[in-house]
Amino acid sequence: MDQAGLTALIQTLAQGLLTGGLYALIGTGLSLIFGVMRVINFAHGDFLAIGMFITLALFRTFDLDPYLSLLVAAPVGFALGFVIQRLVLARLGDRLSEGSMLATLGIGLIISNTLLLTFGAQPQNINVPYATNTFQLGGVQVSIPLLIAGLGTALAIAGLNLLLYRTELGRAIRATAQNPLGAELQGVKTAHIQAIVFGLGVAFAAVAGVLLMPLLYAFPTVGENYTTKAFIVTVLGGLGNLPGAVAGGLVLGVVESLGAYYISNNYRDAYGLVAFLLVLLLRPEGLFGRTVKRV
Amino acid sequence: MRTVTLFTLSLALLGAAQAQGGTIKIGAITSVTGRFAEFGKMQLAGFKVGVEEVNRRGGVLGRKIELVIEDNASDVNKGLAAAERLVNAGVPLVLNEYSSSLVKAQAQYLARQKVPALVFSSSGDDITKPGNDYVFRLNQPATEYARVILNIFRDHKFKTMAVIAGTGAFEKSVADAAQDLAKSYGIQIVEDQRYDKGLTDFRPVLNRIKAKNPDGILMVSYAEDSVALMRQAREVGVKPRLFAGGAAGFALPEFVKDAGSAAENVVTATAWIPQLRYAGTQKLNVELKKALGGQDPSYHAAQAYAGVLAAAEAIRRAGGTDREKVKAALNSLTMQTAFGPVQFKDYEGFRNQNPLAMVAQQVQGGAFVPVYPKTVVPRTLKFER
Repeated sequence: MDQAGLTALIQTLAQGLLTGGLYALIGTGLSLIFGVMRVINFAHGDFLAIGMFITLALFRTFDLDPYLSLLVAAPVGFALGFVIQRLVLARLGDRLSEGSMLATLGIGLIISNTLLLTFGAQPQNINVPYATNTFQLGGVQVSIPLLIAGLGTALAIAGLNLLLYRTELGRAIRATAQNPLGAELQGVKTAHIQAIVFGLGVAFAAVAGVLLMPLLYAFPTVGENYTTKAFIVTVLGGLGNLPGAVAGGLVLGVVESLGAYYISNNYRDAYGLVAFLLVLLLRPEGLFGRTVKRV
Repeated sequence: MRTVTLFTLSLALLGAAQAQGGTIKIGAITSVTGRFAEFGKMQLAGFKVGVEEVNRRGGVLGRKIELVIEDNASDVNKGLAAAERLVNAGVPLVLNEYSSSLVKAQAQYLARQKVPALVFSSSGDDITKPGNDYVFRLNQPATEYARVILNIFRDHKFKTMAVIAGTGAFEKSVADAAQDLAKSYGIQIVEDQRYDKGLTDFRPVLNRIKAKNPDGILMVSYAEDSVALMRQAREVGVKPRLFAGGAAGFALPEFVKDAGSAAENVVTATAWIPQLRYAGTQKLNVELKKALGGQDPSYHAAQAYAGVLAAAEAIRRAGGTDREKVKAALNSLTMQTAFGPVQFKDYEGFRNQNPLAMVAQQVQGGAFVPVYPKTVVPRTLKFER
């Protein structure tokens, strides 16, 4: 391999890792929701689309820097998740695990069609001056927005960890995940905790959308692809396993990028699915999962 | 919004209709909605300007003309249904629209029904190569899109090039033509990457191309992909001497707007620009801009305008709306329009194809300027390195 080839390979790896970071962020939200509530959220990608369109709308209306819209998108995502859990999922009672699939599918459809009516089907992007800025090291060039996305992911996941392991709320969340009835008997308001967790998961998806916006264009069904990616990440890492979701995201990003670089671009989505199937066949509990579910 | 425009357009056309033997109805298909709506908007404006011009000059055979516009919803099957509705409506000919994937199916259907199809915008080679007696095309085929870019590469002694193209009919057609031309020009193609619709991350592909460091890169893709490609090309730091686009997405005003500084120095093939020296180009540009509510027209609008003029002229020569006579009239048609000369010839394996060359323009200082050929008073090309 010559120098140029090596540089290209390192660059592909770096981009794969950073893209994987975004997958990790999306997967973490999904995994958290599953770990605590046993709810499979099919609307996850649509919540990401909401984050993207919030960024787009704020940029178009107030010329607001996309990264500042985090301050809007994250709380809006949280509130939306909280309300949806209270209004829809909480009412499913005992039928939560199967009912939640249909409910979240429906919610996803409502979201994507609302976005379609509001913003139209045309892919739209925002043009910020630093969209194509790069960070150079040797011959390797990495996009600044992609780096920021990687950094944002790291911060969000570190923050979630602090919340889970350093706060009273975190203890309550973990207790609810491990044994809802036991937690309830110890005075944890599990219904409230579940709403908070769903809010957090949605907020994570919305934040991922904000971080994606400078890199991608937004269109109403942009989320579909990411819902699939989130599922792959979650299964790779083990359902409900947060560190696993992070590792799974990184693995998926790298596998996709290297596959696209070495084999062919067109099977990009297939590489992830192949990895997904292999894991399901060989390690159903996930690459990093133990048979005991935990958050 | 679009339906409203369409509605007012048909109203305007109806209003213009005189009762003298009724209007002459001409079929037209374009993408009012869906993925290609951006191009559809341009073409609706071109139709409007074309119809107004024909009717202002007294119409055809003493009657006003009117377009029956059907929406293909940017979908192959809906496009076929639209063609079927027009055939059943008894129109003398059908003006056929933008996307090669859609037009190919429609043209075959129309030919089977013995209805002349006048293609004015779609450019896949295989529409007129080998072609059919009933299919005519007034705009340049894909080969020409590739030729104008490859000519620039050859004139500047490029040794190597890379191709990135979508897998749609049009993109494939341009990219394949580039392959053939590169061979005959002695330019080596070091990478040829075809991507499927919906890809958003071109980085791995661009990394591969960066490692090969070609002199030129030819990209053939639709609107949003063009922006993503150029942004990511800057991002991964691939630096050919020239980035070139095979029209489509790259020739749209939105490309410059959305890609911003990433679009600088990109050369693109284009079918028509107002700086061309045919009679009436400037005036046409002004009228199209007015029809678009102040937006700059792309070549798709000029093509639609020329389509209406050619259809009207064919009906005039045929002396009526008999489909066979209209077909015969199209065969012998020669006319000058602000889009360029129109004449349907058989050459180089093409049939009923208007032999028209393309122009090339480059983004300089955030706006398109013509750079090739000599007929457009070209500005000096700027190179990346």
